[in-house]
Amino acid sequence: MRSSPAHRGPAIEVTDLAKVYPGPNVALKDVSFAVKQGEMFGFLGPNGSGKTTTVRILVTLLQMTAGVARVGGYDVAREQDRVREVIGWAGQSIGIDDDLTGAENVALQAMLHGLSHGDAWSRAAEVLDELSLTEVADERAGRLSGGLRRRLDLATALVHRPAVLFLDEPTTGLDPQSRAALWEHLRGLSRNEGTTIFLTTQHLEEADLACDRVAIIDGGHLVTVGTPAALKEDVGEGRLKMVIPDADRARAARVLEACSWVIRVQLGDPLVVYVRDATASLPPLLQRLSEEGIDVAAIEQSQATLNDVFLRYTGRLPRTEAPVSGATSGIFAAAHGRRRR
Amino acid sequence: MSTLQRDAKLVVFLGGRNLVKSMRTPMLIMVSLLQPVIWLLLFSQIFRSLGDTEQFRSLGYHSYLEFLAPGMIVLSVLFSALQSGMATVTDIDTGMMDKLASSPIRRVAILGGRAWADAITMLAQAVIVLVVALAMGARVRTGLPGALLLLVFATLFGLVWASLSNLIALRTRNAELTMVLGLFLTLPVLFLSSAFFPLSLQPQWLQTVAHANPASYVITTGQQLMSTGNSWSQDLRTLVALGVAGLVFVPAAIRAFRSTAH
Repeated sequence: MRSSPAHRGPAIEVTDLAKVYPGPNVALKDVSFAVKQGEMFGFLGPNGSGKTTTVRILVTLLQMTAGVARVGGYDVAREQDRVREVIGWAGQSIGIDDDLTGAENVALQAMLHGLSHGDAWSRAAEVLDELSLTEVADERAGRLSGGLRRRLDLATALVHRPAVLFLDEPTTGLDPQSRAALWEHLRGLSRNEGTTIFLTTQHLEEADLACDRVAIIDGGHLVTVGTPAALKEDVGEGRLKMVIPDADRARAARVLEACSWVIRVQLGDPLVVYVRDATASLPPLLQRLSEEGIDVAAIEQSQATLNDVFLRYTGRLPRTEAPVSGATSGIFAAAHGRRRR
Repeated sequence: MSTLQRDAKLVVFLGGRNLVKSMRTPMLIMVSLLQPVIWLLLFSQIFRSLGDTEQFRSLGYHSYLEFLAPGMIVLSVLFSALQSGMATVTDIDTGMMDKLASSPIRRVAILGGRAWADAITMLAQAVIVLVVALAMGARVRTGLPGALLLLVFATLFGLVWASLSNLIALRTRNAELTMVLGLFLTLPVLFLSSAFFPLSLQPQWLQTVAHANPASYVITTGQQLMSTGNSWSQDLRTLVALGVAGLVFVPAAIRAFRSTAH
């Protein structure tokens, strides 16, 4: 059995989505994006940015305040039963029954999706095997480690071969080896079986490698969407970290910002300079600083990552709450160290 | 397969899941059984002489044990009802409720599965308390049909009370509050009834309060079925009382459940 969307359009289509909690507390505002069928789409943002709210609306667990959302071609607000047929979902809080065994948990979900008793058990065995969980099939879920429970939760989300898979922080609590195996499995689902995967994560380096496209949400607003490569290019693919004495650092930032080939300067220690081509840019930058009498104690040259993209749009790094100090230089909005566009 | 057939299958299936969970945590069942049985043993001895008084006999009761047994059966289903709400909070806390709610099944099947498992658990517990009472020397004067009617009334009351327990659970989403509020309501429900003392011998104001207590109808009917004989008019009053309580609590629990999914 495989649930499939009724149309050939985007697997997920969200237009002007808004969610306002009583207070009023605006959790989402004017969020619009589309996810192609078979695409692996990363939804990134700081804690409390609206990631989970978006996922819960799309899996029919939360009503939107305004906007339109379609999953598998079905309207999330009006065709909830249809949406539930085509999705698989694994949330942040692991949705498994601790008193049931691994196999019972997976078979339970299969039966809820309409598989017969026999089919549910054979499919459960299959998906447990795919996720290397056969050994714990007969173990009570409550006795399993956090990582195994999360994988088991993923198995319950995959057992009915959903067309669209929603994963909210799927790698939380997994060790590096398990995380790598999980990403590999998800990539296989997306590329070989055409499963559309919408996931939230704070492991940006992994999202960078695995996702076809990513979106960054901050404060309930979608701030950017694109391929990891395009977003990194936009932020400045080359990155130069310069150790400059405290007294000269702010002046150095102003001097560098004035250079036409500098995309952006992040004031801090070290000073981070984003450029298109780090190797080509370095000599003229050093020359310019030298002309101003500014000494550079050390330089590190590297490629920009999604962390840099995330930092540019949200003013903070993943898993940190406070905006990065000194993240200004006309790049980040002054009030909260953020810039939106 | 029609929607009704699919829902019925899911109710049995999800009910089975809840029963399997209960069977794997036998301590929970033991605790909710133990207290009514201890109370039955204890109070039937403490108030034994009450059953020998002329006033008590004149009401048609044969022994205090027989008089007390229906109240203890109701106590056992009250504890089961409390556990039903607690199980709902656990499902919410563990994310299991979200998992069920995002599955392509109707909400009524999730609730039905809970009610089905509750009904079987309550019935089994009521049977055990009754068997203990019989082993201690009590008799059901109306025979097997009377015993079955008593068990059915007790189970129906338990289901109504489980709706209230689930209503509290769904509104508070807090295990401690569900437990505390449930216990807070359990003892008054039992004491403001004929569970320990015939209603006709209680002060008028207590009799008035007992008339608003559905548990009192079930206990009085049970006492009649065990001791004085069946009264169809009392059976009907009990059914009406359970129906009214059901109309208040069941839709409220369903509404709370639906709002949980959003």
